[in-house]
Amino acid sequence: MPMKRRIDWAIYAAFVVLVMFLPLVMDAFWLNRVAKYLVFGMLGTAVALSWGYAGILNLGQGLFFGAGAYMLAMSLKLASTTSLQQGSDKPVPDFMLWNAEPGAPTELCCINKASFLWLPFQSQWFGVAMGLILPVVLATILGTIVFRKRISGVFVSIITLALVLLVRLVVIDSQPVTNGFNGLTDLGWFNIAGLEFDPYIVPTYYLVAVSLSLVLVGARLLIDTRAGLILQAVRDDQNRARYLGFDVPAYQTFFFAVSAAIAGFAGMLYVIVSEFASPTFMDLTFSITMVVWAAVGGRSSILGACIGAILINTISATVSETEGFAEAWKAIIGLIFVLVVLYLPRGLAGLAHDFIDRLLARKPAASPQPLRVSDASSQLAE
Amino acid sequence: MLEVLFIGLSLGSILLLVALGLAITYGAMGVINMAHGEMVMVGAYVTVLSGIWLGTNIFVAIPLAFIVTALLGLLIERVVVRRLYGRLLDTLLATWGIAILIQQAVRLEFGLTFLGIHIQGLGPGLQNVAVPPFLQGTFSILGADINRYRTFIILVTAFLALMTWFIIYRTAIGTQVRAIIRNPKMAAACGIDVTRVNALTFAFGSGLAGVAGVMMSGFKTVFPDMGTSMVVDGFLVVVMGGVGSLLGSVLSAGILGEINGLVAAATNDILARAVVFGVVIAIIVLKPKGLFALKGR
Repeated sequence: MPMKRRIDWAIYAAFVVLVMFLPLVMDAFWLNRVAKYLVFGMLGTAVALSWGYAGILNLGQGLFFGAGAYMLAMSLKLASTTSLQQGSDKPVPDFMLWNAEPGAPTELCCINKASFLWLPFQSQWFGVAMGLILPVVLATILGTIVFRKRISGVFVSIITLALVLLVRLVVIDSQPVTNGFNGLTDLGWFNIAGLEFDPYIVPTYYLVAVSLSLVLVGARLLIDTRAGLILQAVRDDQNRARYLGFDVPAYQTFFFAVSAAIAGFAGMLYVIVSEFASPTFMDLTFSITMVVWAAVGGRSSILGACIGAILINTISATVSETEGFAEAWKAIIGLIFVLVVLYLPRGLAGLAHDFIDRLLARKPAASPQPLRVSDASSQLAE
Repeated sequence: MLEVLFIGLSLGSILLLVALGLAITYGAMGVINMAHGEMVMVGAYVTVLSGIWLGTNIFVAIPLAFIVTALLGLLIERVVVRRLYGRLLDTLLATWGIAILIQQAVRLEFGLTFLGIHIQGLGPGLQNVAVPPFLQGTFSILGADINRYRTFIILVTAFLALMTWFIIYRTAIGTQVRAIIRNPKMAAACGIDVTRVNALTFAFGSGLAGVAGVMMSGFKTVFPDMGTSMVVDGFLVVVMGGVGSLLGSVLSAGILGEINGLVAAATNDILARAVVFGVVIAIIVLKPKGLFALKGR
């Protein structure tokens, strides 16, 4: 294994170990917060995968996050005891009861016209499955249409942006099924074989931490595969890849769907740790904020984007404790963002890469020639 | 029915008001200016502040807002955008950062809140602008009640669109701008000072946003976040119309406005906006270059 790749993996390992040991030094309140930031880190990874490696700047990543979140939240809503004790012994979400027409049967199948959609969500694992399937299906359909038509660059961004806003409006408008603006609150706890994932306990943190580690390593391995290399070729020169005979749209769609699946997964984890799902997940601001995280961390680094998200959120939370400083911090974020785009287009990860390169170069190389070759091959693999 | 069509026309004119500046900056310079909505917001605040501190009405605010936002645009172009030509998506990201900065500047009253100073008319709260009496109320044509202020907006938009058309198609600098739209390098080779023309174009586009802000302040509440949703609508109009085509932007603003008005009359406002998004997506997918794309480039 070339030196650079070895260092790369060492950094991944260090990150995972750090994340795993955090519960030893943190109280439940902070642990819950950090769990949320790890979820955001996962979103950063999803953005880096589609933006840095596929060259698709998705300004609607919130759509997939929201889809995952809502699917699991529907199941957890039906698992909540408090939101069901509203005058019905059958599992009917409280907001449906409050808004039911007089005389409507208080059952999930028919309390309003579309409430039957909730029926399968009585099984928690159906919600989990849908939380992955829905984003992937959406991304596959969208990707197939868009990439087959050879739409690229800013037009993809505009389409995804319009789509997430469209879905957000539809969710808000479908008040009887989605509880509109208010979203789904008062959820039950996620449950695996009797273990209830109260958001403020250590196992919940580990659920998130282990998930993030698996996603990180999985994504890193994925971009080293043949498909990952072809994808990067497509990003760098779409036409050349096409003339070489590769089915360009297929690769783009595949990675777009993987990125969507990660975002959907993150959405589900977020519901578990924060106990709500709301249309704000599909706000324009949130989707662009994810891109900000990835850009600051390093748009073409799986781990960098993830760390960028965690770092920005942790600093925000710390700084916002000081009263009056929260708004100023937002301005600083804006400034940082401008500076990063201008002077640090590869983000913090780029900085780290340069640093490692310099360290490696300083070391007296026994045989300079092979080192250069291995450097080139590791760059190819990046 | 006439009233519904009028509402649609009015919505279209508001879309165009925001899109006009974007059509120029995006079309001519290839800059996705996410801070355009904040320029609108600044224009609206100029109206608020001039009303409070100078006691003037919106007619005075129009040239004032144009100047303020044009200068702000010039500054942004000089400091940030200039370094990013040719990096389309990066302009989007950098100007998003600028947008946040401008929003926070207004919210924090340029940092004066930390010193305990409060400027009336700024800050995180909501502001309102009084419209001159003769623009209030309605008048009736063919039995339909027509809102005076909305009519005023339509007239102003039409004037601005005509003025922009004139500048772009009938003046020397407009010819240079069009040359840059077609091929910046060739334009530079022909002796056009691309840097200078780009700076002026950006300032002009920003100034148009400022005027849009003045018009917005007359019928919408003014607050620091008001620009964010506008910039999206503006982009949808420009992209659907075809990048670099003024006529395309005018027509697509009209079409989207009428669709919005008709669907809103039949169902509700939320659904109407959703349908507008759907139409735009469909058109971009079917005709990625927009309805009236320029050949070349």
